[in-house]
Amino acid sequence: MNEHSEYGLQAGTADIGSAGPIAFGPDGILFLADNAAAKVFAVDVADPGPAAGPEPFDLDNVDVRVASFLGCEPGDIVIRDLAVHPVSHNVYLSVQRGRGDGAQPVLVRIDALDGSVTDVPLDDVPVATAAIYDAPAADDERLDITLPLGEEGEEVTYGTRTFRLLRQPIRTATVTDLAYVDGTLLIAGLSNEEFSSKLRRIPFPFRDDAAGSSLEIFNVSHGKWETAAPIRAFVPYDGGASILATYTCTPVVHFSLADLQPGAKAVGRTVAELGAVNQPLDMISFRQDGQEYLLVANSAHGLVKIDCRDIDVQAPLTEPTEPVGVPRETKDLQGITRLANLGEGYVLALQAAGGRQHLRALKTASL
Amino acid sequence: MTRLSWSRLDGTDCIRLAGLAPGADVQVRPAAAAAAAGIPAAGLPPMGGRLAADGADACFVPRFGFVDGTAYAVTVDGRTAGVLRRPRPDRPATAQVLAIYPAADEVPRNLLRCYVWFSAPMSEGHAAAHVWLADDAGTPLPGALLPTEHELWDAGRRRLTVLLDPARIKRGLAGHRAAGYPLQAGQPVRLVVDAGFRDAAGTPLQAGAERRYAVGPDERRRVDPAEWALAVPAAGGTEPLRVTFDRPLDHGLLARCLHVTGPGGSRVDGTPQPGPADRSWQLEPRAPWAAGPHRLVIDPIVEDLAGNSARRVFDRDLGRPEDDPRASGFITVSFQAR
Repeated sequence: MNEHSEYGLQAGTADIGSAGPIAFGPDGILFLADNAAAKVFAVDVADPGPAAGPEPFDLDNVDVRVASFLGCEPGDIVIRDLAVHPVSHNVYLSVQRGRGDGAQPVLVRIDALDGSVTDVPLDDVPVATAAIYDAPAADDERLDITLPLGEEGEEVTYGTRTFRLLRQPIRTATVTDLAYVDGTLLIAGLSNEEFSSKLRRIPFPFRDDAAGSSLEIFNVSHGKWETAAPIRAFVPYDGGASILATYTCTPVVHFSLADLQPGAKAVGRTVAELGAVNQPLDMISFRQDGQEYLLVANSAHGLVKIDCRDIDVQAPLTEPTEPVGVPRETKDLQGITRLANLGEGYVLALQAAGGRQHLRALKTASL
Repeated sequence: MTRLSWSRLDGTDCIRLAGLAPGADVQVRPAAAAAAAGIPAAGLPPMGGRLAADGADACFVPRFGFVDGTAYAVTVDGRTAGVLRRPRPDRPATAQVLAIYPAADEVPRNLLRCYVWFSAPMSEGHAAAHVWLADDAGTPLPGALLPTEHELWDAGRRRLTVLLDPARIKRGLAGHRAAGYPLQAGQPVRLVVDAGFRDAAGTPLQAGAERRYAVGPDERRRVDPAEWALAVPAAGGTEPLRVTFDRPLDHGLLARCLHVTGPGGSRVDGTPQPGPADRSWQLEPRAPWAAGPHRLVIDPIVEDLAGNSARRVFDRDLGRPEDDPRASGFITVSFQAR
């Protein structure tokens, strides 16, 4: 416990309401986004594994295995995100079990040595918490008030009658991706009301006023139209000095974080479009022969690989003609929904195939 | 011979094993999981849980609760001891669709967002299959709504936000060039919620619901409060302030982006209410209006049906300087109560 006092973690419970994206920070601290409570938790997962070697890791039917451990059918779980412990290479999955009243977020650990499945306890663990978004505006007093079936909410007495009322906010924000770079947690999200593109920066260790600051990101499409859209996935780039982001409407946009003040408007450079009727799902960078590359998982295409040198020299897209932006290679690897670095030698992919989900190590040398 | 039954231990559902040999290894797995993957059940992790002694019996207490309708296979020392299925309660359908927004009869071709209000908390994971846009004959318009892993609910899971695919609305993007607008001016559409949408208990809706919209031309202007008409109430009375817009505004944002301050600058307490078709808004004060200067205060993030806000248009044509974004501060419209 003391080893993490420098990060401000204290024994407590990461009381997560809904499983969201996860990402590792410094010294094996895992960040978990809670989309129900608009919070992010930093948890010491106390990973028990030894330091991993350069081996790959594959596991077929990971959805069936996790469901079996959680005591439900594979259709009853959703794997929301994937992270690999940087030292042990144990695999962490952010899993939502069930869908309605019985829905329960679970952090699952898969042992890199034997593929065994356990859940990571989130009570009585070293934890720190930060609010992700601006609290609802002071003038937003809207609450959805219902009569709960259980013991939620508060007891209210009118005259001689006493009953329970549950008041919950109507405005919410969903975290779509998060990443840690050098003392800052970066968080992208999607509002259930306004259509905007915000990247939040929260200093870590979290401070009392840990709401952090947000940047509003615009991008220009084809030199003619300036627009904003929620960021779907992003990777820190250039040592964290810039961000490469993909959007619900599929462009890849580069913008610099340097010199941006809180509340500033950033205008990004659109460097690629990934095609029509397609959603980017996840994005990582990896190294091959000393060069940095970007990998993008897509809903409609295979895995797209982009050479970062091409991004650096790509002029902003100005003409709405094909090809659109930087050269890219589309790998014939379909159904990949999540990506994580597995040491230097591999990328771990969550891949849907044959109606099931599998963990596959992709050798970076052959990507 | 081990006998299995559903039971309870310390307030928790469990599987009771009677006649279990001391030290036996008990494992429980959802029965259909292995078959789904075509692999031997023994190759799957057993369900997390613990074995607790209760009198002469042993009880398997799961780490995560049993799921209604799911069958569980129990092995003792590697041999199947039996399969137990959790009953699925037969619940009547009670949840309904209360309202679908926009409330306007006509939407612009570049409509961005709809909302569906349900009468009860709902389950996640059903929106993609059970909410869609259809043409006037009821034929689904594939690809019109944004397919997203992230369903956008309020915290109570009663209001669902549905986005049309912005890549098809924004000019210049690949989606727009390849597939065009999701809507066509002059061709009515219906937003359909079918009865298969599940409530929080997993029960379908009482009935499906839909709302029909005429489709008009694009709306590409910034929301401009200077275009709004105010019906100013008399000082000393409690008639509402009425604000009429030049176009319908977004249901969700309208409900929180407007308020009124009085002569001292403090906020006027009262009951705000959107008007028919979200084309107007009123504030009925709790106390009589004070005489003197008032301000209608507008958060510039307020949007119309096409996602244009008071600050910026949805997709700005850089060749139109009149569409340059305005500063992010609150906008005020002054009026005098006399």
